[in-house]
Amino acid sequence: MSKTYGRYRLIRADLDAPTYPAQNETIVDDPLRAQVDKNVTMTRLEEMIQFVTNWGRKNSIWPFNFGLSCCYVEMTTSLTGVHDISRFGAEVIRASPRQADLMIVAGTCFIKMAPVIQRLYEQMLEPKWVICMGACANSGGMYDIYSVVQGVDKFLPVDVYIPGCPPRPEAFIQALMLLQDAIGEERRPLAKTVADQGVYKKVMQAERERKHDRRRKQTYLRSPDGIE
Amino acid sequence: MMSETATVSAPSAIAAVLAEKHPGKCLHQKTTEKFPTFWVGRDELLAVMQTLRTVERPYAMLLDLSAVDERLREWREGLPASDFTVFYHLFSLERDAQIRVKVALCESDPAVPTVQRFWPNANWYEREVWDMFGIDFPGHPHLRRILMPAYWEGHPLRKEYHARATEFDPYYLNPEKTDREQEKLRFVPEDWGMKRGGRDEDYMFLNLGPNHPSAHGAFRIALQLDGETIVDCIPDIGYHHRGAEKMAERQTWHSFIPYTDRIDYLGGVMNELPYILAVEKLAGIEVSDRVNIVRIMMSEFFRITSHLLLLGTFIQDVGGMTPIFFMFADRQKAYDVIEAVTGFRMHPAWFRIGGLAQDLPNGWERKVGEFLDWMEGRLDEYVTAALKNRILQRRTQGVAAYDAKQALAWGVTGPNLRATGVSYDLRKARPYLGYEHFDFDIPIADHGDCYDRGVLRLEEIRESLKIIRQCLENMPQGPYKADHPLAVPPPKDRTLHDIDTLIPHFLSVSWGPVMPAGETSMLVETTKGITGYYLTSDKSTMSYRTRIRTPSFPHLQQIPSVINGCLLSDLIAYLGSIDFVMADVDR
Repeated sequence: MSKTYGRYRLIRADLDAPTYPAQNETIVDDPLRAQVDKNVTMTRLEEMIQFVTNWGRKNSIWPFNFGLSCCYVEMTTSLTGVHDISRFGAEVIRASPRQADLMIVAGTCFIKMAPVIQRLYEQMLEPKWVICMGACANSGGMYDIYSVVQGVDKFLPVDVYIPGCPPRPEAFIQALMLLQDAIGEERRPLAKTVADQGVYKKVMQAERERKHDRRRKQTYLRSPDGIE
Repeated sequence: MMSETATVSAPSAIAAVLAEKHPGKCLHQKTTEKFPTFWVGRDELLAVMQTLRTVERPYAMLLDLSAVDERLREWREGLPASDFTVFYHLFSLERDAQIRVKVALCESDPAVPTVQRFWPNANWYEREVWDMFGIDFPGHPHLRRILMPAYWEGHPLRKEYHARATEFDPYYLNPEKTDREQEKLRFVPEDWGMKRGGRDEDYMFLNLGPNHPSAHGAFRIALQLDGETIVDCIPDIGYHHRGAEKMAERQTWHSFIPYTDRIDYLGGVMNELPYILAVEKLAGIEVSDRVNIVRIMMSEFFRITSHLLLLGTFIQDVGGMTPIFFMFADRQKAYDVIEAVTGFRMHPAWFRIGGLAQDLPNGWERKVGEFLDWMEGRLDEYVTAALKNRILQRRTQGVAAYDAKQALAWGVTGPNLRATGVSYDLRKARPYLGYEHFDFDIPIADHGDCYDRGVLRLEEIRESLKIIRQCLENMPQGPYKADHPLAVPPPKDRTLHDIDTLIPHFLSVSWGPVMPAGETSMLVETTKGITGYYLTSDKSTMSYRTRIRTPSFPHLQQIPSVINGCLLSDLIAYLGSIDFVMADVDR
């Protein structure tokens, strides 16, 4: 278990940041837990309201119909029959960023395309999330080449990274479920009038850490000579 | 300038014509694959091109045009002195022949006259050469960057240009930079000679893309609209340029294979074919019949998945929601087989120089057989459920039609060319891998419209299934890789017994094999048309220059000539029927 597990990232907009993403992050304790001692009733109430809004948000994510390259084909595959992400409440694909909550950066991020991606991201309304799909979007991947941005997190705040080149549709679905878990733990301002306008996102355990012990126990790999 | 390898005589029909009309002006170059290649002086270029374009049974199609930075090339004995060589790859349907014309340029004056008056599709190719090499084309109407952004500095395919992003300053983005770059992307009609209004009306300029669901990727078309009618349009590409050609200059011959998968990312292993066959020609590697038949079988699987995706998205673009669900479900069935055989879905990198990554797994026959039994019956259902749909027919029949003459002039290949009634398929015309032993037809149509392009894809799936069935029933036995030092390292278990095996094994694994110097090329009928690799080897572990000719590039260049004067909604149907992926355009 990592040191920061159970802690929250407090994210505040910072329009004066020298580079994108225009925000700053600090690691804090769960804001609700910190308030329990002050006023138990109000905290309970707020916790309940947070739970209900998060439940609604995470089960009705509207992804933005946005694709760059190969990964987009696997993303589309997960929309259709066999994989069917409508099982997770996320089948309402929107072609306009203004109607979408989730941007899936599926494919290589090109230097020529980056300002366009940034503009599209800005056009999405809060609350919004970013899933970074595939090796190119994560880090440039195979393409350490003059025309490619080495990872979309150079300018976008990313919530979930999916490894793979391209990731399978199942991997995309898993990322969606991980994002849903994370959304379930978020603390967002409930109204404009509530004082604290920061967004608290829980620091989630990395899948690599979670699965590490189980993977270490794996000693048998099936032979590629047969079909199972 | 002349020597053993460059002589004025060559044993082909066109050589005689050139020798008669331009005596002493065309030097023949011998290449590994006996490709008719001629060097022409810059001043004679237009005259020679005129001859080739107007000769009896003319070279009507410009298949490819690009350049080579020759300044660091060492093994070029017998070739005319050159810093930059521009080459033109022409194709004649009537002759079923190709020719490559080269022009040597000097570094101090890199300019060569445009050939757009003979082949209109030279336009984009020349812009690409300008963008990548900085070679000028006097007479070109809009010589500006095409792949890189307008503010870019330097010409990436020049040898002195850095390849890696990590060799440049780290990337960042902030509001000022975003605004500046967005401003550079703004479409200015006057730059393209467009008017903002007519006598009685103002035109509307609309950006379709670079992110639009019907643009199928990062592709932009700037439209000049009069109401809903497209007056003119400018396709804008380069949002998907991954520098594959530069990448080939730093990857070993073997480790470039995964990059070829991602050129036409729907074509999977079929993309590897032209590259691997070209390298095998260069190295003189012979493979077993089993390797060839397995290659055919897996390539046809990818033709099926690619065509299914095209059909599904094409019908969806004009409003049919259901068919795409059928077709994607069937793609999954094909991917189940592909995954069982190759271990991966979209980009298996499974063909290797001199063979395959592995032999077919035990039990593959059952898996392939099940897929064939399911899919063969399924196609008739598609016809009934999707292609006979009245709305689909009304939206696509007679829309965005062009004839064979236009198709050839614009460099259109593959199913899009066959939809105009031209029965030309490299698998029949110039069989590779042993396609000549298979019983299959080349479906053609004669209207050349969107509907025909869709129907042809369905018919091609039928033929692919026939080919796979024949592979299944006649799979020969044999080794899955060639026993050739350039293809595979020496056996590992022998390396610890003698130094003569250990050293070649170490070199072959760590540096990669050194391919002989020379030039080689290969054209293959891939899912979207003719894909070609033209490799220049300088006797090194890496390619000196890799030119990738992709079918989608000219297909997009053709758009304005087809769609101007049509309705905006026709453009959506047209884009859906072209079958392009942006990685295949920008590479």
